[in-house]
Amino acid sequence: MKTEKLVLSFIATLFGLLAAGIAFYFFQATKIVAPSNTKVISFASPTPTPAPSIFLTLDRPKDEEVVTSKILIISGKTNSNAAVVVMTDSFEDVITPSNNGDFSTTVSIDDGQNIVEVTAIAPNGESTTVKKTVTYSQEEF
Amino acid sequence: MMRKILSLLLIVNCSLLIVAPLAHAATPTPDDKIQELRNQLITNIASRVAQLKLVEKRGMIGKVTNVTNIQITVVDTLGNTRFIDVDELTKFSSPNAKGTYGISDIAKDATVGVLGLYNKESRRILARFVNVITIPFIIHGGVAKIDDENFSISVTTIGGKQMTVDVENLTRTYSYTQSAGYIRSGFSKIQENYNIIVKGTLSTNDKNKMTATRIIIFPEIPASPKVNSMLDKVNKSSQ
Repeated sequence: MKTEKLVLSFIATLFGLLAAGIAFYFFQATKIVAPSNTKVISFASPTPTPAPSIFLTLDRPKDEEVVTSKILIISGKTNSNAAVVVMTDSFEDVITPSNNGDFSTTVSIDDGQNIVEVTAIAPNGESTTVKKTVTYSQEEF
Repeated sequence: MMRKILSLLLIVNCSLLIVAPLAHAATPTPDDKIQELRNQLITNIASRVAQLKLVEKRGMIGKVTNVTNIQITVVDTLGNTRFIDVDELTKFSSPNAKGTYGISDIAKDATVGVLGLYNKESRRILARFVNVITIPFIIHGGVAKIDDENFSISVTTIGGKQMTVDVENLTRTYSYTQSAGYIRSGFSKIQENYNIIVKGTLSTNDKNKMTATRIIIFPEIPASPKVNSMLDKVNKSSQ
């Protein structure tokens, strides 16, 4: 008898919850929100950054490379109409790339760590710089 | 009696089964020895190759942010934080050092050149040589103002900084044009709004002042569009 009562009350609770859920769903579905209570949020698209008109890639030397020669080859690619400035601690030069934008030069470096800074400057003044650290050492370890 | 004999036979068989392979293993033939040697050699070569590929010589430059007895933390030229391990084989030096120089002498904010073994897995350098160095200071921008009396120029950099550049007797000025190429020039040839690159040393007292060792001007190339807008502001404020 007791079990029957328990099962019946459980089923009744379930039915009650179901009925309340259906009633709440219909209430929400038929609810009308006044236009004055609504707000339109618009997201402004970010201003696109103009793509730089100049690019520069350095094939040689590799960053943090350790070399055993004081003569270093620097080569890379940039815009064909750019001026390429190559600077080390004790050397600087300005070179013109070939028609396809390739450039190559040799520079002398000092003992120890050297920063090789290559800057490509476009005719409109825009520029880009690549820095590489090259170490001259003949130490064995 | 029969059961005892059967048990004995079983024990003998079992012991034979166990002892036979052991006896075989205990007396290796010359072929086995060669095979074992070969395997050991292959293992050694493989581990050495792995070690060689994992570790390579590298040299880098960084600004010291922290120093302990076993490690130096630096910020490299690309702005990355790097960890340098030091041990009893690491040698330290500084051009200004009088006498012995060690890790405890390395000050925060010093610029150091590190040469050592870079571990690709841990991304750390085991330093063999740590030297305190001075690196040249290079700026690129447009000429904002020329002071003929004091032989100095004001340069607006691409980053928007205003730098006063002192031109001295030792300063060499060069010019680059498409027609003439890279040629020797002089202070008198520098004009306002020129695209300019200056290499030199930063003043110890004033971070906005430097002494030039090399100046390269580009008379045919205007200053960068970014710099141009800032140059206009500078010119308007000075008028």
